[in-house]
Amino acid sequence: MIYNLIQIIENSAKEFPSKDAFRYLDEAISFKDLDMKSSQIAKHLLNLGVKKGDRIGILMPRCLETAIAVYGILKSGAAYVPIDPSVPNVRASFLIKDCGIKHVITIPKQIKKIKKIILENNILTSVIGISNEVGVLTTTWETIFKISLENYIPLKILGEDLSYILYTSGTTGNPKGIMHTHNSALAFTKLVVDLYDFNSTDKVANVAPLHFDPSILGYFSAPLAGATTVIIPDAHLKFPVSLAELMEKEQLTIWFSVPLILVQLMLNGDIENKDFSSLRWVLFSGEVFATKQLRALMNIWPRATFSNIYGPTELNQCTNYNLSMPPKGDATIPIGNTWGNTEYKVLDENDNDVKEGDEGLLVVRSATMMKGYWNNKPLTEKSLYKEKLASGFEHIYYRTGDLVKLNDNNELLFLGRKDRQIKFRGFRIEIDEIENTLLKHNQVIEAAVFLSNKENEQQLVGTVLFVKGSETSSKDLKTHCKQYLPTYAVPERIEILESFPRTSSGKVNRKEIEKIIRL
Amino acid sequence: MEQTIIKYIEEELASEDIEDGLEITDDLLGSGILDSLGMVKLISFVEEKFNISIPPEDMVIENFMTVENIRDYINTKL
Repeated sequence: MIYNLIQIIENSAKEFPSKDAFRYLDEAISFKDLDMKSSQIAKHLLNLGVKKGDRIGILMPRCLETAIAVYGILKSGAAYVPIDPSVPNVRASFLIKDCGIKHVITIPKQIKKIKKIILENNILTSVIGISNEVGVLTTTWETIFKISLENYIPLKILGEDLSYILYTSGTTGNPKGIMHTHNSALAFTKLVVDLYDFNSTDKVANVAPLHFDPSILGYFSAPLAGATTVIIPDAHLKFPVSLAELMEKEQLTIWFSVPLILVQLMLNGDIENKDFSSLRWVLFSGEVFATKQLRALMNIWPRATFSNIYGPTELNQCTNYNLSMPPKGDATIPIGNTWGNTEYKVLDENDNDVKEGDEGLLVVRSATMMKGYWNNKPLTEKSLYKEKLASGFEHIYYRTGDLVKLNDNNELLFLGRKDRQIKFRGFRIEIDEIENTLLKHNQVIEAAVFLSNKENEQQLVGTVLFVKGSETSSKDLKTHCKQYLPTYAVPERIEILESFPRTSSGKVNRKEIEKIIRL
Repeated sequence: MEQTIIKYIEEELASEDIEDGLEITDDLLGSGILDSLGMVKLISFVEEKFNISIPPEDMVIENFMTVENIRDYINTKL
């Protein structure tokens, strides 16, 4: 019986020892090697005193070593915490402090970043993956791979143990950590294998970086089925022609990404002239796939079945809607229905069930649900809807904050957000976080941020009000934002206003500002 | 030419200050210096600044991995 994530790799190492578990360009690692090398990492971490429940950082771009780090950390009993190498140092440091990360695993190319982070964090005590020139204990990959496993005793990992923490945009100006256990991750992992019939002949594309939840499918579902995961390099995602060539060369059978990447592939990847006959599933999530574009792509790839997957990181994912034929009209495609081991309710503002077919807020109860937000019990409590069934017994749902309704076919339609969270180019961003970041600047009195639609092109626009006589420029403000926010959350345009329009109650009139910036 | 490109990347596109400056052999794509939107902007900057037009089939990793690659590519178009 499988009840934790490391059994995935232990089992596949027995069943498919010499098969490629992960591929990255011309490099590959077999299941047996992955099992062994991750045990070497685990033994090293245990020697360093790592205990169950500890958090260990992974600071890497997409590469083969990510797989060894993920399974190595899990085998040590710790939870892995991906740190996006492209986020500002301040953000990386916040995460390290928030989570109490003492050890980080990286690759030699990240040395500059690591050095800066160490300067700001005296809490870090060791770094794995680079040589000794950074002032803390370091261990190279070569040294790790020489560790003898002769007297290595694998730890007993329970389903309830923490497996990873993924950080996402938070409203306060700081990101929040979403905790998952082996149970919740494995529940999702198994559901995917079952729903999309993963098998050992599959080649699954892993497009998402480790800090985004779609990576769970590539790092766990594919290995569970004995399939090969092909890690798509950062570089290819910037060049659709190169990406299409790689997809063809690898003969991928399952694809999973945000719609944006698929649209770019279709528009600029010259895909009509390439062979994608191996592709059997095209899964997408993260934002709405424009129906016209989806239809166009489905016509180019008629043999593949498409699936719209929906769900916030707090639930891994929770619904899907499959399409084997291109959609006929231009109506937005549904997010479908909750899948196995999952149920939902649609509630009004007072937590009462809405009438069937009415609009309301989606709450979901599932085996794939998070444990909570790291180090933030109040926020966890606020995010839950508890249905009392009897004294001391309740059902716990996660409040997605998404507005939905059922259509005539009993399928859920996604209608938008109740708060100010947005999806921009597939990234989940809290508008409040950007505004709070602008307000951190000592010359800014007020700030309002919008996602504006200009000529079908979405753009993040910030508007600010400065203290009197300020000589700060909008360029200075952009530089300020870049210190705290990931690039995708930095407003493209920042407009300095003389005054903010207000409603009669004195609140900032956002609708008026939006009109002004459209001019 | 290299300096024009480096200056544009450092001042307009890079996610943070690049320590010790950007070198012409630095990997722009795999190291987090540029995201995909940054690359789109860089391509239009190059087209405009050097008055060339870059067809989709030339938008491949080999031509844009480093500033050196970009320079060599532009030279084939001038």
